[in-house]
Amino acid sequence: MAALVGLRACFSALQLTSPSLLHSSFKLCAVPLSRRSFAAEAKKTYSREKPHVNIGTIGHVDHGKTTLTAAITKVLADAGGANYKKYEDIDNAPEEKARGITINASHVEYTTANRHYAHTDCPGHADYVKNMITGTAQMDGCILVVAATDGQMPQTREHLLLARQIGVEHVVVFINKADAVEDKEMLDLVEIEIRELLTEYGYDGENAPVVIGSALCALENKQPELGVNAVMKLLEIVDSYVPLPKRELDKPFLLPIEGVYSIPGRGTVVTGTLERGLIKKGDDCEFVGHNRSSKSVVTGIEMFHKSLDRAEAGDNLGALVRGLKREDVRRGMVMCKPGSIMPHQKVKAQVYVLSKEEGGRHKPFVTNFMPVMFSLTWDMACRVTLPESKEMVMPGEDTSLTLTLRQPMVLEKGQRFTLRDGNRTIGTGLVTDILTLTDEDQCHWG
Amino acid sequence: MTLAFIFRTATREAVKVSIAQPVLCLHSGFQLLAADKALLMKLRKNTGYTFINCKKALEKFENDIAQAESWLHEQAQKEGWAKASKLEGRKAKEGLIGLLVGNQTAAMVEVNCETDFVARNEKFQQLVKDVTLATLAHHQNKNQSQTGYVKSVLVGDELNKLTMVEGSSLADHVALTIGRLGENMSLKRAVTLGVPAEWHIGSYVHGNISSQTEVSMGRYGALVIFQGGKDGERDTLGRKLGQHIVGEAPLSLGNMDDLPCGESETRLLPQTFLADPSRTVAQFLKGQQARLLDFVRFQCGETLGE
Repeated sequence: MAALVGLRACFSALQLTSPSLLHSSFKLCAVPLSRRSFAAEAKKTYSREKPHVNIGTIGHVDHGKTTLTAAITKVLADAGGANYKKYEDIDNAPEEKARGITINASHVEYTTANRHYAHTDCPGHADYVKNMITGTAQMDGCILVVAATDGQMPQTREHLLLARQIGVEHVVVFINKADAVEDKEMLDLVEIEIRELLTEYGYDGENAPVVIGSALCALENKQPELGVNAVMKLLEIVDSYVPLPKRELDKPFLLPIEGVYSIPGRGTVVTGTLERGLIKKGDDCEFVGHNRSSKSVVTGIEMFHKSLDRAEAGDNLGALVRGLKREDVRRGMVMCKPGSIMPHQKVKAQVYVLSKEEGGRHKPFVTNFMPVMFSLTWDMACRVTLPESKEMVMPGEDTSLTLTLRQPMVLEKGQRFTLRDGNRTIGTGLVTDILTLTDEDQCHWG
Repeated sequence: MTLAFIFRTATREAVKVSIAQPVLCLHSGFQLLAADKALLMKLRKNTGYTFINCKKALEKFENDIAQAESWLHEQAQKEGWAKASKLEGRKAKEGLIGLLVGNQTAAMVEVNCETDFVARNEKFQQLVKDVTLATLAHHQNKNQSQTGYVKSVLVGDELNKLTMVEGSSLADHVALTIGRLGENMSLKRAVTLGVPAEWHIGSYVHGNISSQTEVSMGRYGALVIFQGGKDGERDTLGRKLGQHIVGEAPLSLGNMDDLPCGESETRLLPQTFLADPSRTVAQFLKGQQARLLDFVRFQCGETLGE
């Protein structure tokens, strides 16, 4: 707007002033105009043309995870797909706050020919688990870095256990520091050994891709076959081996209901933000939750008082449904593709309990603790049952536990939730498994 | 699948032998023969030392696996020290608390490492176990004649100087583990207790790792010294008190008839009891006819007051 005004001022100056003044007035307004275009260039717009994938690195502290990350950005920066980040810029995993939880992690982004990547690296087991629970950077695949000089370390087993725990199914191995080993047969031995270990931990060790190279060589532009080329090869393999995550749009639709209105002469309208999928006019739908369930058809979709034919995940919409009374539906239920999601009462979950510094309780909790569970648009009282090996959970810890709800609500594997007690958030979690309710559980709620 | 894998490796090996043989003739003697690879693999599997060192050992002793193994063990100590001095100064805030209660004695130690991955590894847990055993043994040797209440705190260097049951010092043992795991480690602190006959020691370790040893390990640990209590219930009593101390982190003991002052109470006795929120710790103890005399609480990675 200001630019337009400036431009107009410039034109009027052109018309009114004598030719001798023309030059200077042009200069006057040309300066702010050009400055504006610079400002626009400094902040690049995120381009959405390539599919996005999250990956991470795991491995022993001295095996060169950070050097590899630096090397990847350098190699891709030469190809125009990243900003080169030096080792020192990446190394210190800064504390970040995601959903009020402090996680140590470093994030780097880069683009290959086919994909856009977010690359995460965390120093500890607990940080990766927090990442998984809060969903800040769910890893679709990971690169296991092993130095050729040391081979796998005793704790590599713990690294693979973690990858299993956080649900990483695709592991690519990068054997680093190959330049420091003279004997090529040693590299084979390291490779054989790591394949055996992968198989032992339930990965496809035989077919898992293994790339041999040296991140340092890539950084220092030495021995291209171990340096730049190896890193390029690694990226190619990651491109093809780690599959694309399923897009939210391809999933069956789910609309957590925020409000229900009855509009005289038209019928009942439910509102909410479409969590995933696509809704089209005329789609069959099902309402579940709060011990109720009914089926209907979507007869109209509106957004900002304008009707539209289809709504996509992320849209805030109102849906007119046929033959439904306002009393039949309430906030907390969901409208979904029939049969795609079910209410459940008992689930297994992985939960991170906030420490006092993060705003959680300062006290631990024990079995039979009763917080309120918040997920989608519903909230419901629930009871905590700790696993047998645990007697209590301290703030700042993550744990797996069982939650029994007072009433069945819409829950599915992978759904995120928050636990609150009074006016305080005590933890966030992720549903890992759906359990069936036993008679014993039932009588507890009396 | 395993079969296929073995077959694959076997064929790969065979191909290598056939390719490598003529090339090796050109090289001088120190190049490994392909046939030794099996030996090298075996040595690495048995000992867990790095491939490079295993190879060196085999070259040195001309494929005598027994000699190579003993040489590696000797070498590991040296390498451990070299590695330890290289890694010195790197932050080690993770780790484990090791706790062992003996006959009227108890020891609790804290050993630190860099990442929680290592804390989950059994080699590190073995170290924690050895340190705990050595500390308890040291206490028993020193205080054999004493019958009163003894509580001693060991920090840093004092701990490093202690010797293990087999005679080597703890510092050597730590260096050895550093060499193996490649992370900085340190013995942070330890406390040992000895009590007279009619007193009892209760303990609790939080996040206990299910290990087969008698030493319990976790991220939090507490020792409580109490008198009285009902026969046969002292173990549970001590455990419950320990759990309370871990959970509520009291700073001082307080008096039996102190009045509680709300949520932020830091004196143990007036605190609300964790296992039964309707009572304070003092009231609970009265019900059990027990007296609490002292307690120690360790939290892994906490910064020390001094």
